[in-house]
Amino acid sequence: MSNITVKVEDCTVAYNGKVALHEANLQLNRGSISGLVGMNGSGKSTLFKAIMGFVKPINGHVLIKGMSMKKAQKQNLVAYIPQSEDVDWNFPISVQDVVMMGRYGYMNLLRIPRKNDHRAVVESLARTNMSEFKSRQIGELSGGQKKRAFVARALAQQAQIILLDEPFAGVDVKTEKALIELLVELRNMGHTILISTHDLSSISTFCDDVVLINRTILAYGPTGEVFTRENIARTFDGMVPVEGISNS
Amino acid sequence: MSIEAIWQWFAAPLQFEFMVKAIFVSALVGVVCSVLSCYMTLKGWALMGDAVSHAVLPGVVLAYILNIPLAIGAFVFGLGSVISIGFIKSNTRIKEDTVMGLVFTGFFAFGLVLISKTPSSIDLMHILFGNVLGISEQNLIQTIIISSVTMIFLMILRKDLLLFCFDATHARSIGLNTTALYYILLSLLALTIVAAQQTVGIILVIAMLVTPGATAYMLSDNFDKMTLIAAASGIFSSVMGTYISYHLDASTGGCIVVLQTLLFVMAMIFAPKHGLLVRTIKATK
Repeated sequence: MSNITVKVEDCTVAYNGKVALHEANLQLNRGSISGLVGMNGSGKSTLFKAIMGFVKPINGHVLIKGMSMKKAQKQNLVAYIPQSEDVDWNFPISVQDVVMMGRYGYMNLLRIPRKNDHRAVVESLARTNMSEFKSRQIGELSGGQKKRAFVARALAQQAQIILLDEPFAGVDVKTEKALIELLVELRNMGHTILISTHDLSSISTFCDDVVLINRTILAYGPTGEVFTRENIARTFDGMVPVEGISNS
Repeated sequence: MSIEAIWQWFAAPLQFEFMVKAIFVSALVGVVCSVLSCYMTLKGWALMGDAVSHAVLPGVVLAYILNIPLAIGAFVFGLGSVISIGFIKSNTRIKEDTVMGLVFTGFFAFGLVLISKTPSSIDLMHILFGNVLGISEQNLIQTIIISSVTMIFLMILRKDLLLFCFDATHARSIGLNTTALYYILLSLLALTIVAAQQTVGIILVIAMLVTPGATAYMLSDNFDKMTLIAAASGIFSSVMGTYISYHLDASTGGCIVVLQTLLFVMAMIFAPKHGLLVRTIKATK
């Protein structure tokens, strides 16, 4: 079996004739964490959308485990963990309701959970240490717990690929560390993780690979090789935003 | 007030067939609107509901003129307004709320012109403010059919619609057709407006589609409970509002909506968890 889970080939995406992503190429490997780095408007969310199959490239294609996007969606392969600011935390649902939503793709039209759905929810809650909070309304969670609830949903979905959009925005250092530990655990179980982040200083501590994006994918590959001062300068149009990045 | 008097207050109006019909129709419409209102409040579609309800006016008038069921005319124009809003929004630089304001007043004004130029017995006041006490047999049947269809759809798609309101991105990523869900929810909205038009009229229908959901949202953190509370408050307001309007000889739609609003104000103040009273006490502690 091929080790490549996500393959983006010569992908060009445009909205209303404006190119948002130009001839992007990318491979994400099974059991890896990749950090996605780029400025605002560099095409990060377009890349996410392309991997989820929300936008049809005008050129090139995206393959998930060698399959077309439609097929991958039907198999529930890709999970997306939204930015906190995109979630309505006052919504009247509990943590286990959210996690159960990860199972909808496996249920019949009425979405009536069966035994294995309940089991998947219980297991996912346990793996993310969220069992004791399962009945809480989602707004009553701490920042880290909120993230873990959505990670639990991705696990219940049995997604192979997990996309995280700025998961560290607005969380404290301790929470960030705990979340990274959880992500590393998931990676070790074979999940492919792509995570967009502004926190450049933590990338080399937990990302196996780095993807640099600036309207196209400038470079991708092992963090040690790709995450260089020179490459970062190209990503940020000549400005290196943070100190503490390896020169190697 | 004696028990006897209370009994009479409730029983006396029921000797009239029109009151029995009116109470039944109001209750039915009350339930359907209330259940839908939970989705409207959570999705933030109040303005959309307002737009659609006004935009059905020319459809109702044309249906009168062409002698086809009102529901069909209203539905076509309700959906037409939504499609127009979507088209203008995505093809121009105008912001959505402006587009909505522009489209629904345009449709509404066209309806007014049609009414004023149609030599018939169309009573504008009945369309605008409802006339449930004088509901015809034909309209009664129409309301029952529309309400049943809407309820069935809401029951079957309950969880999908909830997911659509909460996290459309996730819904789409696991292969749900969110475009279809969007148009289904809009169609249910248009249908419900048609059904409620007889009871409260197209001006006040938005209250039926927002207030019960908002009241229930103050009282519950669980969607199932929220739906039940909304439905209960909707039925209560509809039935009691119709009774009160009979005894006071006041506008039925007006009475129903005033009751709904009072329920909301009570929930807003006294809700055990999210109410203003509890919040104030907590803040001063």
